Amino acid sequence: MRLFVFAALVMHGACSHADDSPVIPPDEFVFCTVCHGVQLKGNPLIEAPRLSRMEAWYVERQLHAFKKGWRGRHERDIAGMEMRPMAEILSDDDIDAVTTYVNSVDSELPGKTIRGNVKNGRTQYESCAACHGGNGEGIAALGAPSLTGVNDWYLVTQMKNFRDGTRGGNSADRYGAQMRAAAQILTVDQAIYDVVSYISTFQSKQER
Amino acid sequence: MQKDYSRRQFLGLVGAAGGSTAIYQTSLALGLLPETGPLALADLQHIGGHKRRILILGAGISGLASAYELERAGYECTVIEASNRIGGRNLTLRSGDRVDEMGYDQVCRFDDDPHLYFNAGPARIPGHHKHVLHYCREFKIPLEPYINDNRNAYTHDYKAFGGRPVRIREYVTDARGFMSELLHKAVNKNDFEKRLSDEDKERILEFATVYGDLDANAMYKGSSRGGYKRGGFVEHGELKGTLDFSEMLKSNFWRYRMHWGEGEDQAMPLMQPVGGMDNIVKGFIKHVRSPILTNAQVQSIQLRQDGVDIVYNVKGRRRKLSGDFCMNSIPHHLLSGIYNNFSEDYADALASIERGHLCKIALQMKERFWERDNIYGGISWTNQPIEQIWYPTHGIHSEKGIMVGAYTFNIANAKFLERLNPEDRIKAAIEQGEKIHPGYAGYVECGVSVPWARMNHMMGCNAQWPEELLRNSFSILLNPEGRHYMMGDQISYHTGWQEGALASAHYALANIDERVRAELSGPTVMG
Repeated sequence: MRLFVFAALVMHGACSHADDSPVIPPDEFVFCTVCHGVQLKGNPLIEAPRLSRMEAWYVERQLHAFKKGWRGRHERDIAGMEMRPMAEILSDDDIDAVTTYVNSVDSELPGKTIRGNVKNGRTQYESCAACHGGNGEGIAALGAPSLTGVNDWYLVTQMKNFRDGTRGGNSADRYGAQMRAAAQILTVDQAIYDVVSYISTFQSKQER
Repeated sequence: MQKDYSRRQFLGLVGAAGGSTAIYQTSLALGLLPETGPLALADLQHIGGHKRRILILGAGISGLASAYELERAGYECTVIEASNRIGGRNLTLRSGDRVDEMGYDQVCRFDDDPHLYFNAGPARIPGHHKHVLHYCREFKIPLEPYINDNRNAYTHDYKAFGGRPVRIREYVTDARGFMSELLHKAVNKNDFEKRLSDEDKERILEFATVYGDLDANAMYKGSSRGGYKRGGFVEHGELKGTLDFSEMLKSNFWRYRMHWGEGEDQAMPLMQPVGGMDNIVKGFIKHVRSPILTNAQVQSIQLRQDGVDIVYNVKGRRRKLSGDFCMNSIPHHLLSGIYNNFSEDYADALASIERGHLCKIALQMKERFWERDNIYGGISWTNQPIEQIWYPTHGIHSEKGIMVGAYTFNIANAKFLERLNPEDRIKAAIEQGEKIHPGYAGYVECGVSVPWARMNHMMGCNAQWPEELLRNSFSILLNPEGRHYMMGDQISYHTGWQEGALASAHYALANIDERVRAELSGPTVMG
């Protein structure tokens, strides 16, 4: 039954339009949408980011990171702590299944909520581009996820978390540790707002 | 330094000495307090042969009451509930019940016994909560007195009295005594802004003497109100003596908790349904005939000129319903995750309320040890994260009891408990309870925790309205947007109370009734 549901998801998911024909979550993953919203479009009120269309390999890696306690263990990472128990209950098979689900849903691209200096952000982004690509498209081979389609407020939180060691502090978390090191250039919060504002311009290009 | 007291400051001082009782009585005498008005029950006109369909989102108290009232007036209703159960935050846990916490699905392991239950949500009904009492009367739900405030319970503050718990009886008595003594000293100096007449002065002093139980020299040397050390029945009673005034001031008890029982919603007497608060939910389920769909999660709310369209998922199927009106009790903080076409003002107002974080933990105790310590019902207070210990009013002198081992009002405390897994929450509750009742751990058989901001399809509790929004924008959400009504305790000045939920529902019902009456009596279309 579940296989059938997923087959249906994948088929319809690919052509689903954000609003008109939402992908119906499998029963066992309805709870994801309570916080992350219908079509996983994100809900800033409970700090749950948009997940729609997120790369399957990245979703999988992050769920394992939560499960292993690399994320959502630091005392300052309150939102991460809310997420961690959700990942803990997922078996490896569940993670495969939920990854497929996450990647199959679509929703409209998130709105802009952060206003920084785009020009300064462009300069800052130069060092990010090596891994995340010139247009924030991500480079799977380097383990760097796409930055477009992600809520700008979520990017801000995560960059602060990486910079402050709230995320990426576990040496076993190779990619997390790498990003933590990279985030050290963002010494002041304004630099984070600037670079995130620049990243938002990639999305505008996509929308056009 | 000379200190002047205005009339207002004087009232403030009296208030500090013993809570708001004195202020309340004075204010009442001055006619400053309004009497609670008549019950604002929506009086729905039956729509006869006409058809009107109402979509009700959420099967909590406001949704159930709306369906009940509307269907009796001839409306067609469908209640759409996302979770697997009916009742919303009116939740009574008994043996074998499921606790659907996100990530931590728990089962309540209490013994199967009618009095071993835990009201995880609302737990007390004051006499002026007329809507709640109206339905209790209507559904013939037996009520019993509920003990909310108990002078024999404890106040515990690890920063005062060397961390020793102190009987509330002693604390309150001594606080009033010492404050009254001080009042004597102040009045005798006659440093009031407006000179008091000799008569007034004398009366104030008499008031202070009886209020604080002072001796003939207007000194406070202890009072029988605080209890006896020994004797008092067939032997001469020996008073306990007084607490150290300086330690009393160190304790945070006087700041808020000492006056808890004076609150309009908390002052005794209160009531509870016999056997569990969810008897109210059961009453609605018994009487409501409209379909109540569970496991039906709303995906989209689209407002139209002449109605509202709802899309929901149930068991992997997507369904659409159209109604003439929609009454929506979905938690405000979840709505921005659901497709909707609300106006910007309306959506902004919804987004500016923060979610609440109340958390309760219940423990099954193998013996009712507190009753041997003269405690029958009521609350002990502590400044540890558990904040409160509630002693059950029901099942007195039976073998076991369900004690509320934590109830957090402080958001930081709630968040601390939320972050723990259920097992660690119980451990924390036991460790902290031990500070008030030595040997506590030995009595605990099992426990269950309900952190409302982690419960599936809730993710929050009593909505936190910023003061400014409550003053300026409350009416945006109280009143409909088109044919869509927000409701529930979240749309009231009584968030976290069933009375708030019902008042909000009845406000919306009255508004719908008014509109439908107008529609039905509108100009007849000529053929």
